Amino acid sequence: MPPTAEAPVLPFAESDPAALKKLLAAEGLRLAPGEVAKMLELLGRNPTRVEATLFDTMWSEHCSYKSSRRVLKAYLPTESPDVILGPGEDAGVVRFGVHEGVEYALVIGHESHNHPSQVVPVEGAATGIGGIVRDINCMGAEVIGVLDALRFGDPEGPRAATVREIVRGVVDGIWQYGDPLGVPNLGGDVFFSGRYDENCLVNVVALGLVRTDQVVRSRVPEAAKNEPYVLVLVGKPTDESGFGGASFASAILDEEAEDQRGHVQVPDPFLKRVLFEANRAALAWLHGQGAPFGFKDLGAGGIACVSSELAAAGGFGMDVDLDLVPTPEGEYPSEVLACSETQERFAFVVPERLAPRLLQIYNEEYALPLVYHRARAAVVGRVRTDGRYRILRGGQTVCDAPVEVVTAGIQHERPRRARPAAPPESPLPPVRDHDALFRKLIASPNLASREPIVRYYDTEVQGRAVLRAGEGDAGVLAPIPGSKLGCAITVDGNPWYVAADPYWGTAHVVAESLRNLVAVGARPIALTDCLNFGNPEDPEVFDEFETSVKGLGDAARALGPKGEAGPPIAIVSGNVSFYNESSTGRAIEPSPIIAALGVLDDYSVAITSGLKRAGNVVVLTGAREARLGASQLRHALTGETGGRLPTLDFESERRRTYAVLDAVRQGLLLACHDIAEGGLAITAFEMALGGFASQGLGLQLPISALGDTAAEVRLYSEAPGFLLEVRKEALPRLMSLFAERGVDATITGRVLDEPRFKVLDGGSTLIDIDLAEASRLHSDGIRPYVE
Amino acid sequence: MARAAVLQIPGVNCEYESARALEAVGIEARVVRFNEPASVLSEFDAYVLPGGFAFQDRIRAGAVAAKLPAVERIARESESGKPVVGICNGAQVLVETGIVPGIHPGRVELALAPNRAPRRPGYQCRWIHVRASEGPGRATFASTLSLDEAVPLPLAHGEGRFATADPDVRARIESQGLVLFRYVDAAGRPAASYPDDPNGAMLQAAGITNVAGNVLAFMPHPERAAWLRMMPQDWPGAWGDRRRAAIGSFDALEGPGPGRFLFASLAKRLGVAAPEGAAR
Repeated sequence: MPPTAEAPVLPFAESDPAALKKLLAAEGLRLAPGEVAKMLELLGRNPTRVEATLFDTMWSEHCSYKSSRRVLKAYLPTESPDVILGPGEDAGVVRFGVHEGVEYALVIGHESHNHPSQVVPVEGAATGIGGIVRDINCMGAEVIGVLDALRFGDPEGPRAATVREIVRGVVDGIWQYGDPLGVPNLGGDVFFSGRYDENCLVNVVALGLVRTDQVVRSRVPEAAKNEPYVLVLVGKPTDESGFGGASFASAILDEEAEDQRGHVQVPDPFLKRVLFEANRAALAWLHGQGAPFGFKDLGAGGIACVSSELAAAGGFGMDVDLDLVPTPEGEYPSEVLACSETQERFAFVVPERLAPRLLQIYNEEYALPLVYHRARAAVVGRVRTDGRYRILRGGQTVCDAPVEVVTAGIQHERPRRARPAAPPESPLPPVRDHDALFRKLIASPNLASREPIVRYYDTEVQGRAVLRAGEGDAGVLAPIPGSKLGCAITVDGNPWYVAADPYWGTAHVVAESLRNLVAVGARPIALTDCLNFGNPEDPEVFDEFETSVKGLGDAARALGPKGEAGPPIAIVSGNVSFYNESSTGRAIEPSPIIAALGVLDDYSVAITSGLKRAGNVVVLTGAREARLGASQLRHALTGETGGRLPTLDFESERRRTYAVLDAVRQGLLLACHDIAEGGLAITAFEMALGGFASQGLGLQLPISALGDTAAEVRLYSEAPGFLLEVRKEALPRLMSLFAERGVDATITGRVLDEPRFKVLDGGSTLIDIDLAEASRLHSDGIRPYVE
Repeated sequence: MARAAVLQIPGVNCEYESARALEAVGIEARVVRFNEPASVLSEFDAYVLPGGFAFQDRIRAGAVAAKLPAVERIARESESGKPVVGICNGAQVLVETGIVPGIHPGRVELALAPNRAPRRPGYQCRWIHVRASEGPGRATFASTLSLDEAVPLPLAHGEGRFATADPDVRARIESQGLVLFRYVDAAGRPAASYPDDPNGAMLQAAGITNVAGNVLAFMPHPERAAWLRMMPQDWPGAWGDRRRAAIGSFDALEGPGPGRFLFASLAKRLGVAAPEGAAR
């Protein structure tokens, strides 16, 4: 590259506080004054505009974890014998199993795309999927599924019209991206609550499959010491779309959100599908060459972030030449080319001698320039062995610093203060008409069928499905053709629980996600977290955050198969999303969302939650505790969402969870459903209905053996547990397995050969409903918000 | 040994599972990129245009892809009687080329219009049932299937409604038995309404062949039902019973599913002896 001149700098050092503020605003930078001082100290001079933009992105909350890093490190277990790569790269990697002598791994990532989805729901949600699948693919893996956890405002509340528009837009964005990409949807969850009125949450999880010996790291390999390595940029031409996105994600949404649309990236699943195919061919060819290489996707901070992070992770430097970056027609400022978040791009670091063939795969065989105007692969940079990081443009050096300065990161200590205790629970009014209450609950937004949303999602593509979203408590895949190996995945969260009690509420979410895995016969092997909270500079919000993370870590340790004595269920990837509040200062409910991944040695044992055969018995495990805080029942009867949560005893929960796993594996059960929102009644009803299809069976549920509490406690207590369908012949074996493990079990129902759902208490019939009618109520519950 | 090409047009996304379903019945399958020399395609005995979103469904689903040299080559090869199946997006491509139904050669006589469904416009992914009829396509695509059987299959499309503006074309499609597959209810009766009839297609058509019967435009996805493990566990009927009986049996789940018939019929037509246990 030619010798270069110095680029002009921004005069931060000479500015007094008022001038500094003005200058930051004029440049569209969100750096705090203290952060500017740190930047000046690190650089030893004023930054160029490109450098200031780069620090602004790298030090955003989104990229730097500047408020959360200490907390995550302090509480979360990240290692176990199942883990190959924990947090730190784009996605976590865990052991899967061996098929025909080849060892396979699963790759999992978890992201949020909250602010973009609030401002432009379709594109925001679509680019959420688009971003997370890149994270998986860039580890060298094939993407085999996505999940979406969605939190929307009150669809019947004061902002109902906007909320419904966002629901429709987000669902459209997810299917319009995921379906063309050819990646099946494996599940998700949806929760409606008024505190999301002005700040919806769109969390996305993606899963990948890779040969363990073909996991690709996001770094310049050691071999770059011995031969020249270059940076190859692949994909869409770089434009201004998504410029400033990471900083936008790290700020509070304000009234001018409309003006912030430009920060949201533009999705293109069609191009992404072609890129995935080209990546498949390129990776296969590179693996065959035997030379080490690095691969990473472009996300927040664009080319500048990807190149500096690839270099720094390997202990190298880099020269990036913006003149070589493919763009659409037009002129783009250097900071835009360097930092914009244009979608559908990847970067390789490969030996220079391999670059021509690599370019040929993308530009000729997969014809990128033909399928998208000016899309292509191009060499745009060169690895340096001296640790210096430079960005060049038109004969000028627009960024020049030791790479460790660029990627140094930043941390903030945030003060904490416990929230004042909530007022005591108000007493529940007595329930006079159980049948009417049941009809109301099954159509209520948080308990109604998700079918109106799920039917937009392709659950079948790739032909790997064993259990789909809604069929069982977790999605199950047989990812390797011809192999018995199966994997299961679920994503869960209950914001009312976490708001009522950040520690135990979060622990409950972890416990529920593990229950969902064992219900389909999968052994839990890893967790990911997406921690969605309000403004971390608010001491009460930060206290909730830290307390929630502690609950997450403790549950992950205590609920491993051997409890505290054995390895934890490691948290292998995740994301923190702060500043989820509106300009009026209304924060969302603290919303940790947990994905759990499990493995089945033989996928054929997987069972759904749907009842299988008339005459079988239904068994309850997990006592119905008279604590109804944060329950769907309390909300339906009082409009309140707080109160005392059901007890979560780690030791008995752990015993029950793994006893159920063994019962499924031993083939003792025909259907299994965990008890969560809506309690026993909703769990039993969903089993009778069948999640995905129905054989026309029904269920009779006598509840008089379940204690002497009020019927509504027995029916709607959300205390943890399971409902199990068992053949009469298998019942003695199940009972003795549970007795051995010290797990309770009560026979509590019978499968009917007619489609009715009946709940009996002593001599009286509390609920008696035709399932065809109930199904209509249930599936029409959220339909008006979606269609 | 018979060989089939699965054509990879930019934007399709079912090429690998389609190839696996062919391999399962003993047909050697290769994914051929759209821009490989068109002459390569002549070496194959059969062709699959897989599902997806070829060229992003620009203009209309299938419209751009129908003009590709590779697709034109496949259309020409079909004239010699070689079988061609277009699944979902592939069906849209075949209809846009005019070779299905091909009543007046050289004319585009059918369209796959946006789904018509109450309250539910646009794309949907769900399982439905189809039933085969007698017609010129049966020998190639449904020879192993009983005409009484309601076959559960998944579909996933937004534009799957077979339609024509020409009443004469409609009449001849019907009278010549070109509707090889129709949507039916679980008991095999003609689909009267949504969701048994998922999209409002003319004549409840799920699959239409050309006049000669060697080219099929099929909207459901048999490759996503070619193994028993793909069957939803709680589905009613005989296939559901088989799926439930197979809980805990890996070997049974790796056996044929309801969509296998199409590939098995194709193998039979191509004179391929299916591997043991692969056919139905």
